[in-house]
Amino acid sequence: MRHTILAIALAVAAPFAAAQSIKIAVLGPMNFVQGENHWAGAEMARDEINKAGGISVGGKKRTIELVKADTNEIQSVPDATNAVERVITRDKVDFLIGGFRSEAVLAMQEVAMDYKKMFLGAGAADAKLGENVEKNYDRYKYWFRITPTKAPDLFRTLMAVLGDIGNQVRTSTRTDTPKVAIIAEKAAWTEAIVKGLQATLPKMKMDVVGTWQPSAVATDVTAELSAIERANADIVFTLLSGPVGISLGRQMGERNMKAVAFGINVEGQKDEFWQASAGKANYVSTLDTYAEVESTPKTIPFVQAFKKRYGKAPTYNAATYDAIMILKAAIEQTGGMDADKLVPAIEKMEHVGTAGTDTFDKRHDLVWAVGKTSGIAVQWQDGKKVPFWPPNIKGMQPYKMPAR
Amino acid sequence: MYLLRRAWAEMRNEILVLPSRTLVLVWVVGLLLLPLAYDDAYVLRILTMTCIFAIFAASWDLLAGYTGQVNFGHALFFGAGAYGSALASLKLGVSPWLTIWLGAAVAALFGYLSGYLCLRLRGSYLSLATLAFPLIGLGLLFAFPDFSGGELGVSGLQRLIVGPTANYYLACVSMLVVVFGLWLIADSRFGIVLHAIRDDEVAARASGINTPRYKLAVFALSAAAAGFSGALLAHYLRVAGPSTLEVALSFQVVIWGIFGGVATIYGPVVAVFILYPLTEWLGSFRHFGELRLLIFAVIVLLVLLFMPRGLTPWVRDRVEAQCPRCKQRNSVWRKICRLCGAPLQAQVARAERLVGHQ
Amino acid sequence: MLQDILVTGLVNGGVYALLAIGFSLIFGVARIVNIAHTAFYMLAAYCFYTLLTRFNVGFALAGVLSVLGVTLLSLVCYRLVIEPVREHESAVLISTIALGLIFQELMLAAYGGNFLGVPSTIEGVMRVGGVSIPYQRLLILAVAAVMLIATWFFLYRTRVGLAIRATANDLEVANLMGMNVHRMAMVTVAFSVGLAAIAGVVATPVTAVHPFMWLDPLVTMLAIVVLGGLGSLKGSIIGALIIAYVEAITVFTLPEGAHLKGAVALGIMVAVLLARPEGLFGVAFEEER
Repeated sequence: MRHTILAIALAVAAPFAAAQSIKIAVLGPMNFVQGENHWAGAEMARDEINKAGGISVGGKKRTIELVKADTNEIQSVPDATNAVERVITRDKVDFLIGGFRSEAVLAMQEVAMDYKKMFLGAGAADAKLGENVEKNYDRYKYWFRITPTKAPDLFRTLMAVLGDIGNQVRTSTRTDTPKVAIIAEKAAWTEAIVKGLQATLPKMKMDVVGTWQPSAVATDVTAELSAIERANADIVFTLLSGPVGISLGRQMGERNMKAVAFGINVEGQKDEFWQASAGKANYVSTLDTYAEVESTPKTIPFVQAFKKRYGKAPTYNAATYDAIMILKAAIEQTGGMDADKLVPAIEKMEHVGTAGTDTFDKRHDLVWAVGKTSGIAVQWQDGKKVPFWPPNIKGMQPYKMPAR
Repeated sequence: MYLLRRAWAEMRNEILVLPSRTLVLVWVVGLLLLPLAYDDAYVLRILTMTCIFAIFAASWDLLAGYTGQVNFGHALFFGAGAYGSALASLKLGVSPWLTIWLGAAVAALFGYLSGYLCLRLRGSYLSLATLAFPLIGLGLLFAFPDFSGGELGVSGLQRLIVGPTANYYLACVSMLVVVFGLWLIADSRFGIVLHAIRDDEVAARASGINTPRYKLAVFALSAAAAGFSGALLAHYLRVAGPSTLEVALSFQVVIWGIFGGVATIYGPVVAVFILYPLTEWLGSFRHFGELRLLIFAVIVLLVLLFMPRGLTPWVRDRVEAQCPRCKQRNSVWRKICRLCGAPLQAQVARAERLVGHQ
Repeated sequence: MLQDILVTGLVNGGVYALLAIGFSLIFGVARIVNIAHTAFYMLAAYCFYTLLTRFNVGFALAGVLSVLGVTLLSLVCYRLVIEPVREHESAVLISTIALGLIFQELMLAAYGGNFLGVPSTIEGVMRVGGVSIPYQRLLILAVAAVMLIATWFFLYRTRVGLAIRATANDLEVANLMGMNVHRMAMVTVAFSVGLAAIAGVVATPVTAVHPFMWLDPLVTMLAIVVLGGLGSLKGSIIGALIIAYVEAITVFTLPEGAHLKGAVALGIMVAVLLARPEGLFGVAFEEER
């Protein structure tokens, strides 16, 4: 009996929507910056498309309706899978976009594939998601990763930027072999990069003075930093997604360390970083996705409109915007919503997005190329996040070194 | 015909006489018939999860409620089962139908080890020390990512069975079998010994009971059941990740157990069946879906203020009374005891209950 | 490296000790395992952050208001939620877990999951023997030391402290001797949460404020308390130092295993428990005396 009550209650809770609209579920941890950006990017796309009358499906214009689904994935993986099941069977959505924590997205991918629903990822970086497509195409072909690029490509980008920074360090310190300290959180996504760094840096004429691996959820790196300071490093190479990124930037400033920090610092990508580090994280730099530079002709208008509407700059999760635009292009091209026809259309597509020009490989991952999907690098300079790489893009500014 | 009549008589005399037993019967029949009446993938999914977590909660109760070993790190066993079964089926290529038993065995081993470490610990020391075990396990998982997949866990597992209804029946029947099994164990001589250990370990030992042996056995048994549920969930979600070992899950099972009423087995099961769908339902609201955990915690707090011994003992006291003479349970609306015929007066019963509380 | 280990361990040990003493005290006097203890630490941090960055009231006032506010809140929580179910040990336990969750979710709803930063109370770095120590950390150490001495004075040199120790020693006898056990419990709760709030206020500038910041110290604190012996003041301080030094040594000697510092610390705790089930300075169990 309890179940009947539950069922009725659930049925009442399910909203009634106009039959004509295209329903897209936005999945993300809505209490966190990642989810906020998933939702914001999708809202931008929805409003833009609906203002123009909608997506034309076989000659008829249909508007977009977004379904916001809090996956709670940071706290619970089962909750995330339940949310996917709910939007598919209850809300009857046509497409899924979003997702962030890899462990959860792997489980969410399974549910979506069970129902043969297109799922455009905009957050999880684990290579396994794409490998599934290659290994079992018929089941997993409905998955595409709009952002970020996969780990080996991140490594290529990192090396390219590090080469440039290394040269600046060489001229400013007048040493031939700058010393690099690696601080990488202990996680599967950093593992290949750390091994790659240890092998590649000596070839680039840089000394690895040590590798520190704090836990991904640690908040305090005092001990690690003391050791790095003692090792006299010139470059602190960071691979951090958690709160450690903030303490690191802040303490490096407080200790007046001469070293510069570069790498991936997910917290450093957020506008709140400067405030969170109490204004101490000058010169910290990281890979990033969006800035007011001409990555593509769409970038500057998008970033400006986003800032105007939400009061802060988008993070990479706002690529849900591109996800919807890609869907729109594919739907208009095939003239229908049949996922089996949309998949080959997207595979062949070259889409000029807000952060880069997207084409997909056989794993449905982005094809990497500098200036195309490599993303950009930014540095914090006196409270502003300043883009400095790749140098050939219009709007880039010089990289700065702390005074010696 | 005779058998049918005999069954009906059994049922009338043994089950329908007590409201609580009637409720259990209705619940079991309802669970088994549900997919026939209401075949909805989402509801079935939620109930599948509910059944899996119900096993987990019941296993905690055997250890914490019956034996008094209030485990704050029960997620260790859940995770051990999940990872054990996942790794075995993925790396050795064995069918998951076999590896879930392996998962349960791995969990039992961990249970035995934890039990061994905890033999000399009592009360709060035990609770707080056990809290640490899954976290040490988590540290080890991260230390060997080649083996465990680090923060991504082990993914791409085989399903036990395909389709929402089939999965539901699998979880539901496993739950019924394990829960009734645990309940039988708790009600047996073994269970009485566990009671004795909880209430006074020294006295139990003085009566010639080898308490360490019993404690180890119950640790292993409870862990095996928890590991079994972990393995079920891993193969259902097709991922076994570090989230199966987190503090949040350990706390969750403590909340379920105490909310439902400890030392009952069915209490935690009822709690899961109420709380899990409830939180999920709260989460389905657009406007306050993100507040589900907050609402959940407030509900738990309020319910405990009025029912400090948990939900099921409170309900049971409202619908049933204990016979003052033979201590058998009767429905409250009876005038005389169904077994010994002694008069059942509300006042007597209430006084008994008060005494019973202290 | 030795001096690095010495300094880092000492500073972290100070904060840990502040948290552990309060927790241990509540357990000793009121027999409450207060899982929400570090949630009060988190609330104080949020309070301090809000007063400082949104209302610009200055460090001293913000600190005092946060500590007072959180202490008052703890008394309200105690009266409303804990006291009615005091008789039922398990209900108390789950109530404190629920309280912690409620605080976490409230902060999550109010501030989102972002990491927030609080400016340092004192800026600058000091160099001692080649180790640079930010003044903020020295401040933490100083506050911890002062509070530990104050706690000692309170417990061993005042009448209320005497009553608290008596209650902790034997609740029933204290009650029979005419002590108001309930009021003692209230005083202890207020005092302990006050210590946690102070720790929250002084330590936030060196960590980030976020809704889940209570879980990490919770586990560390429990390990310390169990290691040192529940209800023992001395045990908490020594336990805090041991755990802090174990963590520091792990990070400095095994840089690639820095993430294991938590697991190693917990492992030490388990090892100690195996040898001494009542912790280093805990009282042996009644039955075994």
